[in-house]
Amino acid sequence: MANIAAQRIKREFKEVIKSEEVAKCAIRVELLNDTFTELKGEIAGPPDTPYEGGTFVLEIKVPETYPFNPPKVRFVTKIWHPNISSVTGAICLDILKDQWAAAMTLRTVLLSLQALLSAAEPDDPQDAVVAKQYKENNEMFQITARHWTNVYAGGPNINKDCDDKIRRLADMGIEEHQARVALSSYDWELERATEQLFS
Amino acid sequence: MADYFEEMGWQPLAEGQAPNHYLHFARLLRDFNIFDGLSEKLPPPVSKKVLESIPTITLEQDGKQCTICLKEYCKGDTAKQLPCKHLFHNTCILPWLTKTNSCPLCRQEMETDDEDYEAFRKEKMRAKQRESDIENLHNSMFS
Ligand SMILES: [Zn+2]
Ligand SMILES: [Zn+2]
Repeated sequence: MANIAAQRIKREFKEVIKSEEVAKCAIRVELLNDTFTELKGEIAGPPDTPYEGGTFVLEIKVPETYPFNPPKVRFVTKIWHPNISSVTGAICLDILKDQWAAAMTLRTVLLSLQALLSAAEPDDPQDAVVAKQYKENNEMFQITARHWTNVYAGGPNINKDCDDKIRRLADMGIEEHQARVALSSYDWELERATEQLFS
Repeated sequence: MADYFEEMGWQPLAEGQAPNHYLHFARLLRDFNIFDGLSEKLPPPVSKKVLESIPTITLEQDGKQCTICLKEYCKGDTAKQLPCKHLFHNTCILPWLTKTNSCPLCRQEMETDDEDYEAFRKEKMRAKQRESDIENLHNSMFS
């Protein structure tokens, strides 16, 4: 079985490398070991989304039973999205679970993840806090997601207001990422975030 | 702070109450996908009888692709055809069917030699049948 998996990844690797999405710099895969079980993926944030301009790194683990079972994929780059855990990078996407079929490939997985960044499914959330913000304060969600893209994925949109608030918490001795999480979770209300951090 | 706990579906601790560390640990395990592996247990393999009866067909033209290895078939190649009509190389599909009982493409299940699983599978199929019967009845009444 392991042999089928390795052969399959080898073929797919060529397929992804040759595909036109790579030429457009939208998706990329890289091998991390010579047994074809660990790969690094990269997707570009889709245009007209808060993720635009960012590059998101994925950890891809290929099980011995591939392609009968899906690869295990996780975001390494921190991201603010209802279907992706802001803590662990775990992804809630049906084709990575029960809707997987053997005909799918790494290329389909990466393209589906890119599509997920364009169209979130807040009713099937992986991160409850993000999903709640997405549904109840979408403008704040857009600001937060864009800010995280800027900080963690190299996106171009600097948000001075967010950076200032984080700096104020940092001045109180709070670690930067922790401050960002608290502010993001409380719609960037400095007072409520501070209260939570010091409670 | 009460609203935050409510949002999260949590309850603040009462006076003198200690946090439930097991619960926290379970949440941590869940967040790191530790439980995922447990639910991945596959149904048993296809029954010997069904496995032996799966026909081998000879392809009459090039072009189609085996979705397991992604290689294209050439005219004259042989392939296994499952009851759902999906085709695979013998060497590609065999290792899978000795592990579990479904088509890797459409997930259609085949009979197994496992009695307990068969009882469960038949119950599942009956439930599906009932659902479609009701749907048909509904459609015939209201169309
Ligand atoms: Zn094949
Ligand atoms: Zn099938």
